[in-house]
Parts: sequence; C-alpha cells; structure tokens
Amino acid sequence: MRNTVKDTLLMTCLILALIVVAPFARADDSGTTDNTTEPLDTETVLEAIDVDSHEVPDLPLKKSSNYASSAVDVEPFGHVEPYTEHFLEQLEYTGPGRAKPEPESLDTVKIGFLGPIVPTVSVATGGQSHEEPLGIAMLRGARMAIDEANGAGGYHRRQLPFELVVHNDNGLWGASGNEIVDLAYIDNVWAIIGTIDGANSHIAIRVALKAEILMINTGDTDPTFIETNIPWVVRTIGDDRQQNYLLLDYLYRKQGYERVAIIRASNRYGRFGVRELLDGSRRLGHPIVIEMAYPVGGEDFSLQIDRIAEAEPQAIVHWGDGVDGARILNQIRERGLDQPFFCSDRCASDEFVSLAGDHAEEVFSTYPWNPHREDPVLERFRHDFKERYGVEPDTYAAHAYDGTNLLIWAIQNAGLNRAKIRDLLAYRSDPWPGVTGDIPLNAAMDDAGEVFMTRWDGEGWRYYSREDLEIPGGFIAPETRQERQSLTTSDTGGETQ
Amino acid sequence: MNLFLAAAFSFAVTLIPMAGSAAEAPQPNVDQPAVSDLDLPYVYTDWKQYTVEDGLPNDHIFAIDVDGPWVWIGTEDGLARLDKRTGEIRSWREKDGLPWRVVSAIAADPDTGEVWLGMFGGGLARFSGGRFDHFHQLNSGLVNDVVYGVCIENENIWAATTAGASRYNTRTGEWTIYTEKNAPMEEIWNYGCSYADGKVYLGVWGSGVLEFDVATEHWKDYLDPDGEMEIDLYRDDGIVHVITTGVSYVDKTLWITTYFGASRYDGRHWRGYFEKDSGSPSDFHNAVKARSANEAWFSTDKGLAQVADFPTDTWVVYTTDHASHTGQAVISRGDRVLETRTIPPNIPHNYVLWTAIDGDDLWVGTSKGLAHAKGTGYFPGLRRGADQAETQKPEKQETNRGGS
Repeated sequence: MRNTVKDTLLMTCLILALIVVAPFARADDSGTTDNTTEPLDTETVLEAIDVDSHEVPDLPLKKSSNYASSAVDVEPFGHVEPYTEHFLEQLEYTGPGRAKPEPESLDTVKIGFLGPIVPTVSVATGGQSHEEPLGIAMLRGARMAIDEANGAGGYHRRQLPFELVVHNDNGLWGASGNEIVDLAYIDNVWAIIGTIDGANSHIAIRVALKAEILMINTGDTDPTFIETNIPWVVRTIGDDRQQNYLLLDYLYRKQGYERVAIIRASNRYGRFGVRELLDGSRRLGHPIVIEMAYPVGGEDFSLQIDRIAEAEPQAIVHWGDGVDGARILNQIRERGLDQPFFCSDRCASDEFVSLAGDHAEEVFSTYPWNPHREDPVLERFRHDFKERYGVEPDTYAAHAYDGTNLLIWAIQNAGLNRAKIRDLLAYRSDPWPGVTGDIPLNAAMDDAGEVFMTRWDGEGWRYYSREDLEIPGGFIAPETRQERQSLTTSDTGGETQ
Repeated sequence: MNLFLAAAFSFAVTLIPMAGSAAEAPQPNVDQPAVSDLDLPYVYTDWKQYTVEDGLPNDHIFAIDVDGPWVWIGTEDGLARLDKRTGEIRSWREKDGLPWRVVSAIAADPDTGEVWLGMFGGGLARFSGGRFDHFHQLNSGLVNDVVYGVCIENENIWAATTAGASRYNTRTGEWTIYTEKNAPMEEIWNYGCSYADGKVYLGVWGSGVLEFDVATEHWKDYLDPDGEMEIDLYRDDGIVHVITTGVSYVDKTLWITTYFGASRYDGRHWRGYFEKDSGSPSDFHNAVKARSANEAWFSTDKGLAQVADFPTDTWVVYTTDHASHTGQAVISRGDRVLETRTIPPNIPHNYVLWTAIDGDDLWVGTSKGLAHAKGTGYFPGLRRGADQAETQKPEKQETNRGGS
C-alpha cells in the first residue's frame, strides 16, 4: 500500500512537471543533447591514431546525455530508472588494424557500393524486389561524388583515381552478407557504402564488424540499424525514430488528436518504421487504435481499410513505399474516409503524386532533409545532378552523395587504412556540411541532424521544419536517466525513501 | 525560457524522492557465501604465444577447437593444426584445398575425427582424411555461406549462419533449415551454437537465444524482457540484450554474451553482468566459453575475462601491456579489485575473439595471435591465498616470448 501511494505521488509529480514544460519543448535550441567532451581537429585525431597494433588512441570519446534526443515522456519505462542505458558513449575499436601499412602497388582506391540495383525475386526482399529505383538513385549520387573527387585529382597522396565497386544486394537469401565478404576479401575495398533494406543492412554490418571494414549507410532509416553497438558503422541519414518523434509531436502536441490509425507495409521497413510511433503514442496516452499491415505491391487494400474505418480514427498514418501509399490513399478516399493522411518519406515522390492525383495535396510526409534549403552547394549539386541524369536528385541520391563525400574526406586524411578511415569519422567533432544539411554524428555514429515534414502543393513539394509549423516538442532532459536519479538523491541528502 | 524549463524540471525531480523510489534494483539471485579477501581463484601464469612467426597462416584468430593432441585454429587466411606434443604447426590455405580463406568456426568431432569448418562467406567444410568436402548454399541445404558458428549434436552438424541455421544429418545426408518460418526467430541472424544434454542453443543477433530440444524438436526463446534496445531495465530479469554474440551451455547452465554485457541462466535464476558492476573490462563480448556452471571465459575487446567463481562473483581479467612486455591479472569481486598481479605477458593482443578450454589448459584466439595457458595446479573456485600461491608455482617461465 505504501508503495502504491508513493508511486501515485511520483507519477503525479512527473505528470505535473510535463504538463508545465511540454508545450515549450526542447532542451536547447538545437534540439539535441549530443555533445563531445572536447572538440577535436583533424590533425589531433591523425596524430592520436598513429599507433602501433597494440595501442588504442588516447582521445576523448563522444558522450550523449540522451540517446536520440528522446523527450522524457516518450522514453521507455519512463517511470523507472533503468539499470543501464546504451548508446551514450562513442564505441571504441581496440584491435590492431591501425598498424597495417598502406599497400604499395595499387591502380585505384576502391570504395564498395552495396545497393538494390538489379530486380530480383527473393525471400530476402519479401518476394518481387521493389527498391531498385531507390538503389539506382543512391548509385547515381555515389558515382557523382566519386567522379567529382577524381576530377579534383583523386586520392591526393598518390594521385590515384577512386573506383566505385558496385554490388547488388537483393539476390539470394541473405546475399548482402556474401557481397560484403566479396567486397572485403576479394575486391579489397577500403570502406563500403550501403544499403537500403533494413534486413540486408543488418546482415551486412555483422560481416563488416568481423572483417573490420567501415560501412557508411546513407539510405536505411531503420532505427535498429545503429542500435547494434558495432564500432564500424556510420549512418548519414535521419532515421525513422527521428521522423516518428516529429510526427508524434505534430499529431498529438500540435493537432491534439487522440485516435490515430496506422497502415504499414508488411516488411521490415514498415514494421520497424512505426515502432517509435506505436510506443510514443501509447506513452503519450493515446494508444494507436489499430495497426494494419499489407503485402507490399498489393492492389486491393479493402480489408485493411474496412478495419481502420471500424476503429474510427481521427488521422491515418501510412508507412511504406510511395506507390502503395498512393493506392491506399485513393482507396481510403473512395471508401468515403476523409481523415488526414500522413506518410513516411517514401511517399514524397513523383510516383506518389502521379498515382494519388489531387489527393496528394492533402498529405503530410516526414522527410529526412530539406531539399529547398538555401545553400549554393546544394544548388550546384541539384543543377549538376539534373544535367547529368535528367532528373532531380531524391533523398537517396543526395544522401549517397553526402555519405560518399564524407568517406572520401576520411580516406584523403586517414590514408589507406580501414581502421584509420573509421577513426576519422568516429572522432569527427564538427557536423559534415552536406548538401542534405549539416550531418552531426552522435556517440552512436548516427546522423543526429534535423528532420522535416513535406507536402505537395499542386506544383511542387514544400518542406517545413518544426519551427515553420510551430510544432511543440516534449522536454528533453539534459541529464542521463541515471544522472537524473542521482540529482534527486543528492538534493535530499542521499535519501530516496 | 531555458531557465523556466530547468526550474520546472528541477521542481519535478525534487519531489520525486519524497515519493520514494518507484523501482529498486533487484538483488542477486544467489546468496553470497561467506568469503574473505584471502579466498582467491587460480591465476594462469604460464603462457605461450603463437603468431605467423611460429607457423600460423595468419594472426587474426577467429575460432579454436581442441581434439586430443590437436588444436585446430581458424584464421582470417587459412586453417592451422597445432600438435600439442611437439608444438609443430601445419596449415592449409586455398591452394591446399581449403574451400575459402576465412575460417570463422570449428567443431572437431571426437567420435569420427572429422573437423567441421564454418567459413565466413565460404559455407561449411568437412575435413577428413586429408580431404575437404565443401557444402554451400548452391549445392546443399546450407541456408547461407556466411557461417558464424558450428556445433555437433549427436550425428548432426549445426551451422549458425547469417540467414538462419542449418542442421545436417551426417548419416542420412538430410538437411533441415531453420528460419523465422519454422523457429521463433524474430531475426534470422544466427551467431553462435552450443550443444549439451540434449539441447542445442543458438545465439541469434536480434533474437536472443533459442533453445532446441532434440528429443521433442520444440523451440524455446530467451529474449530481453524489456524489449528495448537503448536500455536494460533490470539487470537480472533475463538476457541483457537481444544482440547475442555467443552462447555456451555446460552443467545445465547457460552463459550468454552480447555487445552490451553478458548473462548467466541456471534454469531458474538470471544474472546479468556489465562492465560497471563486475570485473569485466568491457561490455563488448565477442564470445563465451564455459568450463562449468561456476566458471566461464569471456572474449572481450579489452582483454580475456573470467568469471572464476560464480557464487562469490569473483573475476580474473588477463591483459598484456605490449610496451612494457608485462602481463596483468586483475582479481576482483564484483567491481571491487582485490589484487592486481603482474605476470608474464599472456594474451598476444587484448582484442580477444575466441577461447577454447582444454582440460585445465586454455587456448585463446586474438586479433594478433594465439595464446596457450598451461593450467598446472589449476583448481576450480577459490582457495585461501597462501595455499594457492604454493600450488601455483609455475614449472617454468621461459615459455613466454615477451609479446608478439
């Protein structure tokens, strides 16, 4: 009984505090609680990583007080102090790889590329593959970065050209693992860019860890990708956790909805893409009223839509490919449902607009960057990309361009050593100034930058920041959850009872 | 505005302790026996290191298994066999018939003398009578060619691959594939494999540990009860994380490693281990090998860690300082260091990938060579320090080469 009273009072205090602070949102202006103990310049890092095979660089590790800048009211088990928190300190590589000398006889500097570029039917992709347009865009962005680097002299230390070694990742079951083995041991690439599918990405990074080769991911927004604690993985795109958080704030804190439905693809992208939306909705007191999955590439979604209609939601969120999203939206409207429709970033595509027609103008999608940001570097990239390929660069092209440029920067500075290439990125303090915006890598080596929302206005996509739409956010505590507990203890002279 | 936020939050956290702690950390499952700081475990002091200079095909050691006089060693570029009687090393590379250069798992069958090799991107091979038989995903029921773990269960060979597990019956030639279709694999990324007492345990990256009962062919899964990636809510409520990297089942006790800590399960009680609350030098565990219900060896990225005596939570951690050509054995009880002993160099590199137990001896694979620890006078558990020192006088010290 005594505990029950305590718990009730505790929860009341927390709720009161959240009610007071929630409308005013963030911990700081940047919306992030990631920080580095001290800024490091490239020269300092290079000097420190010049070690023998038994030494570990004597450099401070990045620390975060809050993983992924989660608001306190959407943290898991928010009423309990967890025994351990993960992803708050930068991972170390303690192996001998930094002592490997740069090989002498080379014709090119090889960079691996793993992406879905050739259509297949496979178990790994859930049947008929469907991500080739994304993979092709990703390949175009990576190629453009490579060609520009070669135009600027290639690998500066030895005047060698960069070479992109391209592998397809959606062939046989689990093929991405075999492809990484080939890239690491047969092609002998220095690092790898890839991939898009969440399952294939996971398989690939397990191989990269054992082979000790860096993987830069530019297209997989699966939050769990980075949550594997592998010190050989970097991601340069805002993930679905960040996009979910923005959508949660829009749905509940701005619009005040209480009944939201989810319709999602029955694959890893759909399943993990809505995970934080599901959990966050429940934690904010508005459990998702219904979650319906559909087979990718389907034509008839009446079963899912009927069930959703029965649940009488105030808004519907779709997480899946743009083509499926457009068909679902059209059938929802034909069914007479007029709830606001929200989408994942894959709906922000020409295909979606083409299929959805006028319905497209009602849709808000999350988006990992702002392509309309005023930036001459972005303008030049868009111009050059369109001139070369005849289309505007999409998110996969732009992020691949950024990721490849970031990798080339690391190679130019670190030299041809896989571990040192990894170190340059792991210890980088400043955000990478990409065409997709600033890319700050947090302690988990994930892109902690801002994400956006977008809407088709009949003539083009319009992009909105949190500030543009005046979306309030939850309070992001500046301390870790365990530090918060310590604070309460020290405030009362160590008494917790 | 920020001041307002800080004030509001401080108000809330100031009130919290008045309400008491909502949840208290659980206590260890096992009662601590009376033990003094003089009760210490055995410490290995007699080490020998092996590298390419001694005949290994490569210094990056992924797997080891011991079969009688032979120590089989899987490296990043070839297979090696060390004869314990003579110290002679023989190796096989692709030019010698090895199907693929990277040998990531080994299981030697003591009944048949056959050696089963899991290869990293090369499938599975049987080495028998000087011949390699190659099984891969295009000529057999092997579900994927990236093989992380191999174990022998009666007449069956299990391969833990990156896209499911395969079970090969060596008598009938039948293959069975286990994936999310027919096993409770939330993810299919198998990593480790262990068999004992009629049960096969698979360590599955993203799916915890799966138990396969051979007699009934039923599965049971062990998952992190909180289901969250970014926290472990309670230490002793189950497996500490679902990103499982190793599993070892001995004496009806399951030892589990992850990149987030380690766990032990005796069938009734769980115990979690983290760097912050134990003698372990790291939460990043590459593998585990148990000697008993009370003793297990963890291959970490910052040294070789041993739970030397589970009931008293006594640990020994071995590291080598290459610069000073000395080794260290840190004995601790929980996270309290009891003693730090300077010993001769032990493991050739502190990034440890595999440990094999060979009677009282150990074989340790690192990313820069192999180590053999001779267990002269080994004893399980603890002894009073004076007795132990007497017992542990090394027979000879010249076996250490002073680092690699």
